Amino acid sequence: MEVDDLSLVSKARTGDPDAFRALVVRFQRKVYAVALGIVKDPDLAWDVAQEAFVRVHQSLATFEGKSAFSTWLFRITTHLAIDTLRKERPTQKEDVDEVREADLEGGGEGILSTALGNDPRANVLRRELAAKIQDALANLSEKHRTILVLREVEGLSYEELAERLGIHKGTVMSRLFHARKNMQAALRRYAGRPARAASEEEEQP
Amino acid sequence: MTSCPRFAPLLGARPGELSSSEMRALEAHLATCERCRLAAADLAVTDGLVRDGLIQKANARDFAPFVDEVMARIAGAGPARHLPAVAPAARGLRAWLAGHRRAVATALAPVLAAAALIVYVRQQGQRPGQVAMLELASEGDVTMVLQTSDGPVVLLGEERT
Repeated sequence: MEVDDLSLVSKARTGDPDAFRALVVRFQRKVYAVALGIVKDPDLAWDVAQEAFVRVHQSLATFEGKSAFSTWLFRITTHLAIDTLRKERPTQKEDVDEVREADLEGGGEGILSTALGNDPRANVLRRELAAKIQDALANLSEKHRTILVLREVEGLSYEELAERLGIHKGTVMSRLFHARKNMQAALRRYAGRPARAASEEEEQP
Repeated sequence: MTSCPRFAPLLGARPGELSSSEMRALEAHLATCERCRLAAADLAVTDGLVRDGLIQKANARDFAPFVDEVMARIAGAGPARHLPAVAPAARGLRAWLAGHRRAVATALAPVLAAAALIVYVRQQGQRPGQVAMLELASEGDVTMVLQTSDGPVVLLGEERT
């Protein structure tokens, strides 16, 4: 039976290195995924993920257990990833969170649902699109990447996102709208090349 | 439709995240707005794609050395390769002491020697039967051995390779 997180934390607090190793192994890939989504660079994400565990280890004595260990770990990871990014590129273009009519223009709505919903090869296309996520995220601003990653990888609610990012719930919803809109525009470009055509190309000698 | 900007941010909400009045208003809007219906359908089919894509990347990477590298960093043996250096204070007193053993031993040696002498003299005068010999010896520059009633206490200097 798998030992729960809090039991491992209790043992790690007493200096049991194996307990902390178990926590690292349990969360390493998801922590890396969160870091990768925000900082984009795989090597930098690797460092951020490791540093997050180091900071957690240093602060084990202060962990009160009011939230889940994973919540605390991902909070540290998020802050570390954002700080690291801002140290590297301090000047960032400010995104507008407000949603205007002009933001809804451009068309293309329904392309993804048609491709992913009706095509018999929808699962193949979904896997192809998932493989393009890192590229698509790279074209988004830091704020948009961060909120999408926290929403989808960490699974935070609107309220939790507002608390984590220090913004109002309304801003969370409008920022998520812009982030998704930009992400979907990138995915539509990838989906525009039908999965069937792509696989036929690969089959040719 | 002019009310679309009001409803677009509500698309993609999870159960329980919208109030009942927001839900009713959104449903009424979707019933009359094809663009928002299609946008909602796109959101529904792409939900989880970011998670799947990033986890896919993480799973494709070899994590075999990860935990050992983390533990080495915790022990102070493996600095971050890309991150800005962390100040000693941020890494904690233990890590700082581990990195400055030689300086700490050098600085503490005369203090401990003086303290030991005081303890020896006072205890000799008060309870001679409970006091063991207290000696101070040194090897090389900084390695100190304090002989106390509880046994030898060794202050290690830098390891020589």
